[in-house]
Amino acid sequence: MMHLQRKIKAGPPLRAMVFVLLVIFTALPFAQTVLLSFLSTMPRDGMVEGQWSLINYRNIFLSADLRGSILNSVLYVLLNVALCLIAGLPAAYAFSRYRFIGDRHLLFVMLAFRVMPPVVLSLPIFILFSQVNLVNSPVGIALVHCLFNLPISIWILESFISAIPREFDESAFLDGHSLPGFFVKLLVPAIAPGIGVTAFFCFIFSWVEVVFARILTVTAGKPVTMAINALFGFQTDIGLVMAMTVISVLPGLMMIYFVRNHFARGFMVRA
Amino acid sequence: MKRHSNTAWFLLLPALAIMSFVAIVPLVTVLNFSFFDIFTLEKIFWVGTTWYEEIITSDRFHASFLRSLLFSALVLGIQIPLGIWLALLLTRAGRWSIVLLMAVAAPLVVPWNMIPIMWLNLIDTKTGIAGQLMAAAGIGFDYKFTAVHTWILLLAMDTWHWLGLVVILAYAGFSAIPAPYYQAAAIDGASRMAIFRHIELPKIGGALSIVVLLRFVDSFMIYTEAFAINAGGPSGATTFLSIDLGEEIKGFSYGSAAARSIVYCLIVTAVVWAFVKITAHQRQAGDGKAA
Repeated sequence: MMHLQRKIKAGPPLRAMVFVLLVIFTALPFAQTVLLSFLSTMPRDGMVEGQWSLINYRNIFLSADLRGSILNSVLYVLLNVALCLIAGLPAAYAFSRYRFIGDRHLLFVMLAFRVMPPVVLSLPIFILFSQVNLVNSPVGIALVHCLFNLPISIWILESFISAIPREFDESAFLDGHSLPGFFVKLLVPAIAPGIGVTAFFCFIFSWVEVVFARILTVTAGKPVTMAINALFGFQTDIGLVMAMTVISVLPGLMMIYFVRNHFARGFMVRA
Repeated sequence: MKRHSNTAWFLLLPALAIMSFVAIVPLVTVLNFSFFDIFTLEKIFWVGTTWYEEIITSDRFHASFLRSLLFSALVLGIQIPLGIWLALLLTRAGRWSIVLLMAVAAPLVVPWNMIPIMWLNLIDTKTGIAGQLMAAAGIGFDYKFTAVHTWILLLAMDTWHWLGLVVILAYAGFSAIPAPYYQAAAIDGASRMAIFRHIELPKIGGALSIVVLLRFVDSFMIYTEAFAINAGGPSGATTFLSIDLGEEIKGFSYGSAAARSIVYCLIVTAVVWAFVKITAHQRQAGDGKAA
């Protein structure tokens, strides 16, 4: 009986079928998007609606707004990754190596902020940021995305630092390294995979976030997501929307490819 | 053993400075707003806890709270078991596992406002792949006006979006289990169920608990994706907590919206607190058993 059950549960043909279904389910919306992005979906001279064409991608290339939006997104995402790593590394080191007053409470607060819904804070953040001239600027979005990315960076980096024995730090200090010198010259290279995984998560979460990116870009500095929203109107060129969506997904897919070998090892985010 | 040193706080200063600016100051501002009736930022009136009383006693709040709760329950009920099962199958997929993991991770990198756009196009009866198939099969799928269909669409979309996270974290947990555990189980003649119950599930507990927390809070407070599908409709059937709040902000009733934000904030904090307590308790119990 048990033997039979095992066969039904995990037999190779069934497993293969499950995987095929999984891939179809995952790929279907992407397939739809890519398909539409190569169709001309607007009435155009000398072109039937629904004709295969590269016109959507050409239109993106020709539009300064759309090209600019890609640059804006890349700019604030990279800035956010840098901020999270620079502020997160010393904090993670403190959590990993020391016990101090309030450490557990601080971890709890970090966790709470990580899961705080953006809508809750969107209004005061807009008011605060407009007072200090951070609206319409990539710096503003990069800062506000730290709300959820900084806690994540600290957790991931902490687990990687904790995997390194204390003796590593102590011998470095005996050799006369200062704390900042130790961070840059020894710690960062030692936890390079952790830096990569952290950068991956910050990149992704900042790239896909919409609520803050929307309220903080009123007149300028629009990211890809908002540039796509702006394409919707009385007559929406859905092919152009889809081509832009394809482009907006590419950086993320490249990131997945870079960290693919960490899926099994590095993704253990400690609770 | 960790050393006790309060100078470690200095290492936290950059992170604390950023968090104060983007989290604490706005939160205090919201708390302050929630006690006022705000017409413009110059014209505000103290109303005390009126907003809170209104929200907590309003049927609208209760209804959206229950809707969000039901949505989260369905999301967790579908995604967690499915994700664990798929991760288990993937551990036996050999070199294909990485390729499949990359595939299920792909939806995670799609910007959140594109996800509903992609899905609405997919089920479009004229140009969509799934929409045309369903129309050909004679299935009338009407997400605009049939509440059940809107819910199905939201659940399918959310599962598509987030299943990868569950699969990846569960898979990471499974692959961290040392082979001797399985060998010992084989010697004992343990059944597949017993191996899962007594070896695999406890071992992936840590990774799983964080994924349950993330999935719960994110689905409980779902906004961007759900709003774009049917703006909370048909007739409020998918008006979840965050959509309710979003409407209030758009309607410029800032005082009331602020009070609502604080209520949500308290809900989320309570959930996180319960989560921390439960996981700490379990870890202690686990340590006790091991010792």
